[in-house]
Amino acid sequence: MIATLLLAVGVALAGPWRGVLDLAGGSLRFGIELEGRDTSLRGRLCNGSACDPFSAVTARGDSVFFELADFAASIAAVHRGDSLVGVYRNVGNKGPRSIPFRAAVGRWPRSEAPAWLAGRWDAQFEGGFGTSPRVLVFDQGPAGLQGTVIGNAGDYSHFSGEVVRDSVTLHRFDGSFVYMLSARLVGDTLRGIFHAGLRAQTPFSAVRSTGKPHLTPPTEVTKADSAPFAFAFPDLEGRLVRSDDARFRGKVLVVDIFGTWCPTCHEAAPVLAELYRTRHSRGLEMVGLAYEVSGDPAVDGALVRRYRDKFGLAFPLLLAGTNDVDAAAATLPQLQGFTAFPTTLFIGRDGRVRKVHAGFYGPTTGPQHTALVTEFTRTIDALLAEPAP
Amino acid sequence: MVRSAIALFHLLVAVPVAGWAQHVPADLARERDEYARWLATAPTSPHAAQALLPVGSGISLGADDADVVLPGVARGNITEKDGALSLERDGTRTPLVRGRLASLGGPYRVLAAGLPGRTVVTVFGAMRDAKTPTYFPYAADAALKVTLAPPAAERIVPLLGPDGTELRAAEAGTVSATWHGQPLRLTVRRLPGRTEDESELQVFFRDRTSARGSYDGGRFVELVPQPDGTFLLDFNRARNPFCAYSSVFPCPAPWPGNTLDAEVTAGERYERKQPTAPGT
Repeated sequence: MIATLLLAVGVALAGPWRGVLDLAGGSLRFGIELEGRDTSLRGRLCNGSACDPFSAVTARGDSVFFELADFAASIAAVHRGDSLVGVYRNVGNKGPRSIPFRAAVGRWPRSEAPAWLAGRWDAQFEGGFGTSPRVLVFDQGPAGLQGTVIGNAGDYSHFSGEVVRDSVTLHRFDGSFVYMLSARLVGDTLRGIFHAGLRAQTPFSAVRSTGKPHLTPPTEVTKADSAPFAFAFPDLEGRLVRSDDARFRGKVLVVDIFGTWCPTCHEAAPVLAELYRTRHSRGLEMVGLAYEVSGDPAVDGALVRRYRDKFGLAFPLLLAGTNDVDAAAATLPQLQGFTAFPTTLFIGRDGRVRKVHAGFYGPTTGPQHTALVTEFTRTIDALLAEPAP
Repeated sequence: MVRSAIALFHLLVAVPVAGWAQHVPADLARERDEYARWLATAPTSPHAAQALLPVGSGISLGADDADVVLPGVARGNITEKDGALSLERDGTRTPLVRGRLASLGGPYRVLAAGLPGRTVVTVFGAMRDAKTPTYFPYAADAALKVTLAPPAAERIVPLLGPDGTELRAAEAGTVSATWHGQPLRLTVRRLPGRTEDESELQVFFRDRTSARGSYDGGRFVELVPQPDGTFLLDFNRARNPFCAYSSVFPCPAPWPGNTLDAEVTAGERYERKQPTAPGT
């Protein structure tokens, strides 16, 4: 009887679902793709064409549980007719962080990026702690309208959305970050609200980018002192890896300060992997300094191994600390103004830091991403061309 | 026949009770359920708190002569230097992340919070009996639509949050309304949230129920933004600060001007413990 019921649930769940988180200011849309049945149910959480797997999906009776282990988060729902109704939970230290969830069978309708919207906009967010700049990017992606929000610490990753007449809404839910941008074109200005979490709303206005820099250049956010860059952290096997090890001597070194919890770091990893693959034989070394969630080497080590294998990273990844900017900065005393994950250090053959790039522009940022990859490549090639000391 | 009569009695009695319970809107009922669940199960529930103290020049944990005695836990020291925290135990120093729970062994965990240089740590242990919060009956007229008037000047103020830790809040302005014929005017502050974009608009207020059914020190209520740019000031959502649950937590000082000359019989209640007679 129970087996029959589970079978029925498994069959009914497979396929695409239109997911919603009901925020105070509106409905944040995302997609869920389910396949398999019963105990082999698998699922992906999608923002437009960008999907990431749930760590587990289980169905018991009329209940469905979506697990997002990387973020200690989950969606618990009950199957009601052709809908799922429940709650997204992300345990907080000061109280529950929960948001109503619902989903219906099917996919969100595709929406195209209209000419009046496509492109880059310079925005000012009017937060309660002062005004701060952002760049909004809208373009046409494989699943229709897509975009991102870029701040001084990098971009907010991939958003998907829809346009109705003169209004646009962009959505981003990755299991941890809950973002929605809604705006209307008034004259030549986009006026809107940036929603974060259940209730936070930040008004903003944006005008078409003129091409003049609107954000602090990412190479001017963090500075390094002039001494040879020093580090000593354990690798995934517990061996201490030091900056003065023989493998780094006289080599160009790229240090990737990252975390497996950081979506932007996931977008940087393939670029670094490719640069390492194509230039390691010419004297390029890389090392990843992981700042993870738990601080427990067993837990963090497993997450970093999965990250290494996912992106095929052939350089050492070291467990450097936990993912708090203050704590990370304390382990990197040679850096001033460390604020962003990822941050990439470019170190010459003499061991001195030559450039620090805070944040990373992912593929959603289009030309920014292309320019960044070009900049990384040129920087490394220039350092490789320098003679060994 | 007797059974049928009992069943009919239960039905007649139960229906009005269930009907009353349904007056609590679904979203508020869900929020209250989630909060009760968090208080009963979260490792950082105030019901699991054992001690809260400033790091200052350093604090010791574990041994009998430590600042915080934790049976069965090896001695450790927490120190702060240039805003960075570390926990030293068995000759090993590990970073202690502000806002991130760290295990001390056994049932004990530690959470560092507050401003750099003025950090406090809370030590959590096994969950004590967690009483479910109780509320005044839902009052539909205690949900007020208000407009937020901007502050005279932008200002950052240090204050204690609901969890008794110091934070920097931004003056967000004032909300005004009339309730039961009484004019209300309350100061609103923006408290930092989980991320730069996820802050909260909070009101900390006292009223004539304070110490007479609600918590003496006052209650917090978060403004809920509405699609038309106004806010919902719903006193049914008023919650006690953590110091109402456990004396481990310091109480926030009342916000100037936020004492209402009105009985706000809505939101979370506070049931004062009866004094115990000597010798009993």
